[in-house]
Amino acid sequence: MEIKNFTLSIIVTNKAGVLSRVIGLFSKRGYNIDTLYVGPKVEDSRHSRIIMTSSGDDATREQIIKQLRKIFDVQEVKLI
Amino acid sequence: MKLRGAAIVIETLIAHGVTDVFGYPGGAVLELYNELYSRSDRLRHILSCHEQGASHAADGYARATGRPGVVIATSGPGATNLVTGIATAYLDSSPLIAITGNVSSNLIGKDSFQEVDIAGITMPVTKHNYIVKRAEDIEDTLCEAFQIACSGRPGPVLVDITKDAQIAEVEFYGGSPKALFAVPETDLDAFEKASKLIDESEKPYIYCGGGVISSGAGKLLADFAERIDAPVGFSMMGLSAMDCDNPRKLGMTGMHGTYPAIKMNEEADLIIAVGVRFSDRATGDKDEYRKNTKIVHIDIDDAEINKNISCDVDIVGNISESLSALCKVVKKSSHAEWNALAENYKREAEAKFTGGFNPRSIIRAVQKFTGKNTIVATDVGQHQMWVAQYYRFSNPRTFLTSGGLGTMGFGMGAAIGASSANGAARTVLFTGDGSFHMNLNEFATAVRYKLPIVVIVMNNNVLGMVRQWQTLFYEKRYSQTVLDRVTDYVKLAEAFGGTGYKAANLEELQNALDGAFKSGGPVIIDCAIDRDEMVLPMIPAGGSYADAIYN
Repeated sequence: MEIKNFTLSIIVTNKAGVLSRVIGLFSKRGYNIDTLYVGPKVEDSRHSRIIMTSSGDDATREQIIKQLRKIFDVQEVKLI
Repeated sequence: MKLRGAAIVIETLIAHGVTDVFGYPGGAVLELYNELYSRSDRLRHILSCHEQGASHAADGYARATGRPGVVIATSGPGATNLVTGIATAYLDSSPLIAITGNVSSNLIGKDSFQEVDIAGITMPVTKHNYIVKRAEDIEDTLCEAFQIACSGRPGPVLVDITKDAQIAEVEFYGGSPKALFAVPETDLDAFEKASKLIDESEKPYIYCGGGVISSGAGKLLADFAERIDAPVGFSMMGLSAMDCDNPRKLGMTGMHGTYPAIKMNEEADLIIAVGVRFSDRATGDKDEYRKNTKIVHIDIDDAEINKNISCDVDIVGNISESLSALCKVVKKSSHAEWNALAENYKREAEAKFTGGFNPRSIIRAVQKFTGKNTIVATDVGQHQMWVAQYYRFSNPRTFLTSGGLGTMGFGMGAAIGASSANGAARTVLFTGDGSFHMNLNEFATAVRYKLPIVVIVMNNNVLGMVRQWQTLFYEKRYSQTVLDRVTDYVKLAEAFGGTGYKAANLEELQNALDGAFKSGGPVIIDCAIDRDEMVLPMIPAGGSYADAIYN
């Protein structure tokens, strides 16, 4: 399986502990986080945007996206 | 109407149809228990001996009824004692609501007495969790907790509420339940693709899991099996989804699966997996499992698709709806030769059994006293596998067992939870002497609430399953698996205020069961079994179905 780098844009509810849920998923399931950026979503104080680069084979990437979507406070996950 | 936060918690539970809660009081939930006191006519509280027991009881209640189970514990050790129970519910997708008190919000983060970050601790083993610091947020949060626990694939949700939030008085709006989240629409092309594979298959095999029970789809699954003329194997979690008298039922598959289920699974050219997650205990070597077969995977949780086993076609959605839709598009087929093979394997397996006082004969003797509706709980280990192999389950939600987490000590609590929901009907707990010693304190709870639970201890005075691995794979070096305890189970039962029997042969067991099934309260029957009894078949960890040990 070929390991590839990819970038995710994750929109989350702006609540305490949300970043911890997202990061916790990666440590719990053994996924990689290569870089991480978190900031407010422009003109929307209720949501934050996480930009993350990660790496893994195609199956891992598919799993990461699906598992992220199951987190209650995650509103949207996109590959960019 | 203005109410204190603690009263809002209790009223919201009642508004969600909760009739029984399990728990243990303490400093940070004094307010909750105070409000419960004046509402005890509307909400029964079952006091356990230990919070872990209460958590398994709430889980057992949920598994037996399909309704969410509720457990209450105090902060700090009360909360951490719930963790095993929450993780057990998480791995088996059981809708559990755990409510914990915490210290007042001004004391949070100060290492205050009995303070622990239970939301942080349980994050990886809950579907979602909350820390609530304002009374205004309690009602909506708790309603949302029920909504999350019960929507889609069920699971545990924890709500941690600070003491000051329980005390403050705020407006209460009635606590009405929120509608469950909608399940995403299933891709219609998937049914076409799946039906093509099913119509082409000469040796189709249905693999039924716990999702079928969650979805209430047992009858639909039987209809589907009938239509495509396929045998059905089960994950442990799915065993009670189909009537034992249905000739298509092959029993459990996987590491300790039955001979017919293992053989048919191995020889199938198409596996139609419904509500399963292809656990490593069920598949063994994943490449070998996948090699000569195609797979259609039907589940409500998109993340289970291609997680453990890649499939050829996936149908994501509500299982009941998926099965009815699929039934309409597949052709009615006949696979007489293939099903005859299953019958052969069943006969071969039956011929191998011997008489005498052994786990199988004990289970069959107990089954003579139970009905199809009797709820059977187990602990974890050899006895659990024997029950999964030999007890003939028929009705959904009658088999309560810790499948994913494999929690020794689950059974006594689970039986209490099921029995509380079940009135005068008897609940049976099969346990081992190892597992039973983990949470046998809860027998006192069963006595206190006069719960008619019959506890069958398969007593070999060893940690049988671990010892079996030591026998097979560690040159019989029995490191720490020989218990040699001298516990007298009859006296133990009596000391707690229950009844105890000893059985060393089938006649004694028969007499004990005669007494136990007439008794109004809990009973322990100590059944002495040979410590060298093994659970067979066995597929060694990581091995393939072809590596199964049968003798």
